[in-house]
Amino acid sequence: MSFCRVNCSKGQLKIQEMAFALLAIIIFLVISGLFYFVFKASSLKEDVGEQRENEAREIARRIANTPEFSWSTSECSNCIDLDKLMALKDKESYKGFWNLEHLRIEVIYPVKNGECLKVNYPECSSITLVNKSIAPLSSAFVSLCRQEFKKQGYIKCELGKIYAGGKKVE
Amino acid sequence: MNKKAFEFTFGWMFAIIVGGVILFLALYFSSNLLKTENKISDTKTAKEIGIILNPVENSLGEERTTLITYPVETRVYNKCRTLGNFGQQEISVASSARGGKWEEPGNPSIFYNKYIFSEDMIEGRENIVLSKSFEIPFKTADLLYIWPDSEKYCFIDPPSYIEKEIERLELRNINISSIEKCEKKSRKVCFSGVGTKCSIVVNLREKSVKKNEKKVFYEDDLNNALLYGAIFASPEIYECQVKRLMKRTSELSIVYADKSRALSVKGCSSNLDFELIAYSNATLSFANSKEIESINKMSEEIRRKNELLSCKLF
Repeated sequence: MSFCRVNCSKGQLKIQEMAFALLAIIIFLVISGLFYFVFKASSLKEDVGEQRENEAREIARRIANTPEFSWSTSECSNCIDLDKLMALKDKESYKGFWNLEHLRIEVIYPVKNGECLKVNYPECSSITLVNKSIAPLSSAFVSLCRQEFKKQGYIKCELGKIYAGGKKVE
Repeated sequence: MNKKAFEFTFGWMFAIIVGGVILFLALYFSSNLLKTENKISDTKTAKEIGIILNPVENSLGEERTTLITYPVETRVYNKCRTLGNFGQQEISVASSARGGKWEEPGNPSIFYNKYIFSEDMIEGRENIVLSKSFEIPFKTADLLYIWPDSEKYCFIDPPSYIEKEIERLELRNINISSIEKCEKKSRKVCFSGVGTKCSIVVNLREKSVKKNEKKVFYEDDLNNALLYGAIFASPEIYECQVKRLMKRTSELSIVYADKSRALSVKGCSSNLDFELIAYSNATLSFANSKEIESINKMSEEIRRKNELLSCKLF
């Protein structure tokens, strides 16, 4: 097909052919570039998601030993201090501290129910410290200890689980 | 006219110009793409460094050393900021120097709970990491000291407790020697008096460290954590990290004060909450390392009182 229906020289036809060929090349390059960027963006998203998951997993594994969580005295060096967590629960300053979207500590045994508040503590099951969104969660088993007092002070520990979720990739 | 002669027609001119433009654009985009790829890789590395430093920390108050090895020669940039409730630790990475010229570092990874004591930039394929816990009087954080494997330190006349610690930790590239026997290119850390050849001077009586013509202060009964910080970090980073540590100490003091009040309700009164609040205010208004001595005195008082309690707070 030619656009030169009237008075077209051979040279003009060649130039037109070349222009079309160039246009085709450019369109091909743009489309392949677009494919490349879409592929790259999705693999980048995957990488970021994976990194955030790794970070959340590491945090879940290690958080019991951080100063905000750990039972500081030597009786139980790897336990979580529930009394400290209750003090930490409503602290706005700690909301962005762990780079997490979700951070929750749950008592598994003995079985209890409900979110811990000052009125029902310690007869409750979970303390949610960060709850921005429900992201994929990593978890780890922990010992949850608190001070009790009957005539004299003693430590009561229960079995618990810690759930941590990194930021979701949009 | 010779018909066999080369005819430079419009078609040829057009093809050369358009071909040139296409070639130029291809080269421009591919070099940009390469830069972006490098930046993405450096940004990922910075984040990964933060993640792999997690196991080095939190080691139940024990010191730990580890080695980070990169696939290529790498520069790690350590930036510390004091803004916000906890300040910020920024780590950014630049790798693969092409033709001896380093690229711009990738986007920084920000951490609020890390405290890295190092020079502003650490260059090398291997970095040594030492971790120590910082307690004032309760554990506040694990401090990380990072220096390149290529950098050698020579400790001259250190006190016996430092000497024993270095031997116990088997720290690479730290030798204990006299100034004459130190390697020429090593950083000389002098513990007894000022020498002209000393790069870092530790004044044990004044509890100060002089480095790059700047003096910073430490307290050595804090597990020597700050002393090592002052030796391995640039004075600016040291001051910033100590300020961040004080901010976290302030927040933790409030947590312990709340815990103290909650225990009082249960019948286990500690009466430490007022002192902890005062301590929180003092650590929050901490300006520079000169004030560490007065903070340490307050901390010692709280530690002493806590040890006497039947329901210990920490």
